[in-house]
Parts: sequence; C-alpha cells; structure tokens
Amino acid sequence: MKLAFQLAYRNLLGAGLRTWLNVGVLSFAFVIIIFYNGWIDGWNQQARRDSIAWQYGFGQLQVATFDPFDPFSITDAHAALPAEDDHLTPVLLRLGTLYPQGRTMSIVVKGIDVNQTVVDLPTSALTASKSDLPAIIGEQMALASHLKTGDEVLLRWRDIHGTFDAATVTIAGVFPNQVPGIDKGQIWVPLKKLQDMTLMPDEATYFIADANFQHTEIAGWKYRSQEDLLYEINNIIKMKKMGGSVMYLLLLAIALLAIFDTQVLSVFRRQKEIGTYISLGMTRQQVVGLFTVEGAMTSIFAAVLGALYGTPLLGWIAHTGIAVPMNSQDLGIPIADRMYPVFGLGLILATLMLVVISATIVSFLPSRKIAKMDPVQALKGKIQ
Amino acid sequence: MNSDYVISLRNVAKHYPIGDGRFTALQDINLDFSQGEFSGLVGPSGSGKTTLLNIIGSLDSPSEGTASVLGKNIATLSHKESAQLRNREIGFIFQVYNLLPVYTVFENVEFALLLQNRSEAERKKAVMDALEWVGLTHLADKKPSKLSGGEGQRVAIARAMVKRPSIVLADEPSANLDARNTHGILQTMKDLNRELKTTFLFSTHDEKVMQYLERIIHLDDGRIAQDEIVHAQSTPT
Repeated sequence: MKLAFQLAYRNLLGAGLRTWLNVGVLSFAFVIIIFYNGWIDGWNQQARRDSIAWQYGFGQLQVATFDPFDPFSITDAHAALPAEDDHLTPVLLRLGTLYPQGRTMSIVVKGIDVNQTVVDLPTSALTASKSDLPAIIGEQMALASHLKTGDEVLLRWRDIHGTFDAATVTIAGVFPNQVPGIDKGQIWVPLKKLQDMTLMPDEATYFIADANFQHTEIAGWKYRSQEDLLYEINNIIKMKKMGGSVMYLLLLAIALLAIFDTQVLSVFRRQKEIGTYISLGMTRQQVVGLFTVEGAMTSIFAAVLGALYGTPLLGWIAHTGIAVPMNSQDLGIPIADRMYPVFGLGLILATLMLVVISATIVSFLPSRKIAKMDPVQALKGKIQ
Repeated sequence: MNSDYVISLRNVAKHYPIGDGRFTALQDINLDFSQGEFSGLVGPSGSGKTTLLNIIGSLDSPSEGTASVLGKNIATLSHKESAQLRNREIGFIFQVYNLLPVYTVFENVEFALLLQNRSEAERKKAVMDALEWVGLTHLADKKPSKLSGGEGQRVAIARAMVKRPSIVLADEPSANLDARNTHGILQTMKDLNRELKTTFLFSTHDEKVMQYLERIIHLDDGRIAQDEIVHAQSTPT
C-alpha cells in the first residue's frame, strides 16, 4: 500500500494540469459542502438559541386543548393551575382585533407576567409605562402595523362569555428580535390586565418553565419539553438541509464525474504504461490499486488545497457572518439579521470522509478493467 | 528438462483464435539457453519473435508445450508468481522504450527496485550504478520527453539491468535508433553481458544487431528454421 501511495503521488504530480484541474474542482466542492452545512448548522444553533431565549424557555406546560398551529383552539384554551409553581411563568392568549390607522388587524393578545425573567421579552417596559393598558410589540409587528413606541391604538377582544369589549392600547416599547413566534400578529400586555379584561382570573393558556422546573402529570394540562417544542424548527432545518444537499451533491457529482472521466480515459490512454508496470513486475491487482489510490489521493490533495483557501475564507465568514434579508422571517423560523456559520470538526471530518470515499469508489470502478487486461496487448497500447 | 539452462522450451506452440479457426504464431519450438548467452531471435515481421519473448517473459503462456524459465513452468505460475519472476529475474527492453513519461530518468530506473522494497540508499546506489553503465548519470533528473532516441533506449537498458536480472529480453531494441546509437547500446549490453553474466535474448531483424549475437535462431512462420552459433566480435565494424 505504501508503494501505491508513493507511485500515485509521483504519477499525480507528474500528470500536471490534468491533476490540478481535478483537484481544483473537487476542492471547490469540498469547501462548498462545508460552507453550506456550516451555514445551516449556524442557522440551526441560532434558531434554537433564540427560540429558547425568547419563546420556549426550558419547556411549556400547555392547556391540553391548546394547539399552537390552530388559532381557533385559543378561544377555549385557558385554565388555572391547581397549585402555583415558582418555576412557571404564565402566559394567557386571546384572539383580538387591532385598528391601527383605521385598518383592521387580526392578532393574538398575549398576557405575560410583567416580572418574569425566564424569557428575554422586555416586559419591564410594561411596568415602566404609565398607560392604563400598555403593550409591547416586536419589530415585525411594528412594521406591519406602522406602530411605534408611544402610539395609541384601539384593541377589541371578547371576554370569557364571548362579549366584545374594546380599549385603547399604548405601545410601551418595540423590541428587536429574530423570533417570528413572539412577534408577527401579536401584542404583549400585562397578564393581570388581560385576565381582568377577559374575566379569566388566575388563568393561563400555557406556562413557560425555567431550568429548575420538575414536571409531574396534571389533569387537563400537557407538558412539552424544550426538545419537543424545537421539533418544528429541527424539521424545517432538516428539510432545508436536504434541499440544499441536492445542490452540493450535484456539485460533488460534477467533481466526481471529472475524476471518473479521467480514470476511464486513463485506463484507455495509459494502456502502454499499464503494460509497462506489469512487465516491470507489478501484478494487475497492484496496478488497479495504484489507479484507485491516484483517485483517492486526488481527493486528499483537494482537501489540502481546500484547506489552504477555505480556512481563511470560511474563518472570515464565520467571524463576520452573512447578512440575511429582513423578509426572511417569512419562513416562520428564527433567522438573525446576520447568520454566523459554525464549522465544527465533525462537519469537516464527515465532509472529508464523504469526498475521499466517493472519490476512491469512482476511481476504483473504471480501474477494475485493468484486472482483465492482457499485458501483451496493453504493452502495444491496443484498446481492449 | 535440463536445469542447467536458464530458459528451456519444449514443443512450445501458441495459437490465437480467429473467427471459427485459429492462427498459429508458434509451432514446435524446442530451445535451451544457458546463463550468459547473447542470443537473438531473427526473422521477418510476424515470424513469432515477439510472441516467443512474451512467453519467456511470462507476459503470455504457451498454448501447448512447456516453457521453463529458471526452473519455473510459465504456464503454471500464478499472477503473483509471474509478476515476481519478472520483477526479480527478467528485464525487458522494448522497441519504443516504454519509459514512464511522468517519471524522471532516475525514477524510471528506480521503479523495479521500489517494487522490491529496497531501502532508499540501496536504490540510489543501484540506480546511479546502472546510469553509469549506460553513461547517463548527468541526465538523471530529466524527463523522458527531453531525451534523444539513443538516450531513451539507454535508460531502458539501465532500467532492465538495475535489478541485475538473470535474463534480459530485448524486443527490437534498435528499431528506432540510427546506426551510431545502435552500436552504442549493443556495445553497452555486450559489456554488461560479460561483466554480469546476464543472459540476453533479442528479437530483431536488424543486421547491425546480428553482428553482436553469439547465437542466432531464425524463425519463419512460427517455426525454427535455423539455430546457429556464431562468434561475434566484441566490437563489430
């Protein structure tokens, strides 16, 4: 094997441009695969981090009938806990209508404990406000409703009996964030206020758990762990990864096709060379091994070349991040204004393995023909 | 079969299938070669010279009869055994040199020694010795594309001789050389034959090569037409 590596190294260096073209294309595929996966991993980590910090906490205890994907379930999703728990922050959800500048906006009114610290929502703005009914909204909501801090806007809602009521809400703050689940189509008001407005004292739709919460079964309530709540994000990221993998697998396929093509041509064009190897004392299997190692070594050269220009390039991207268009929140998962790709050792090693193994396989397949070659015909350079 | 002979051929025949029939390239070949012989297979194109060299070199096997090289029956050798035989005991010199184009002169000559897993120091010494025999030490770092025909064939000789084989098989070694170069490489081979007692077997129809041979076997239509011992001068004119 050492001999095959020694000879393959000489052959590849000796082949000059042919080698470097393959190495160049493959190294590009190598860097793109790492970049794309690093980008997705960075996005994934950021989405999980922000969702936990702003929305999910360490899990949620929800009213059993509450379905976050069905707004109609909100109407009946309210209840009081049999006993208070210091590790749970209540949130009450009600459907409402906002009338900013004469327009009608269907929204979800979310009441939250103003003293909570479990999520990053700036609820202190609600206590600081002198307004009778203060509210905070996210940047996206502010953009959609054309509301800003200090604005007053009419809010209409129904109480527990279905009776409509209305009041003026004062925007106490607009908070920047990257989590659509706490922003678009929502306003946040003090929990006590909303409970009074809706005649639902002590009731909540769900509770956000802190790190020390210990779950025990409570009738009429369901507990969703942090991982369970992140399931949708994970799924979206997984789908995105799979969709993107088509792109980089195509790129890899082109690079591998170049190696395959080179190998097929080599087996035909280097027949005299193959015959000479055999006449000098190599077995046919050794020649097959040599050609296969040449392909594998091409991928190793590609990894080295990719590392040469990829390390500073990807390092710079990981440091400065990539700007993401604002409207990308439409995807429904948290996306930061700047995405910071994460290039872990595992990702790099897995990509290296993928490239080296696939390059070895596509090098081996055409080389098998050598095992059936007649060395006499090969020495004459006759196509077999 | 006499084990004193390095090459022994008994009733060797070689047939190739052509359509429904077969083409006979060699028929009734009975030959023995002793160590240190400087012999040649002579005949027109298609007379079976190269086929016979390929069988002796274990690149091919006879359809009938027995070809024995250094006591080994070529037909019964495995791929690995015949590769070992070629690597250690047989040197090939080809009409078009067959130098590996991406290797330097040094690396071309070194190749057989790499297959023998010799140490780097050992390889270097053996290669430089071989290049010295053929007077090409100054071209060690050149690629084959930079060599003249005569130089290329000298590298091929050095490559065949570097492992100090028992037998060297040279297939039309002068076909691409002018008279001066032909005499040059033949003289080199003759000197090596004397110095190292290597058995040389040529295939040729070049009169200039024949002048150097001590034994000439004439082949005609795959059969031995004549087997004559001649006493070549050491430096033919």
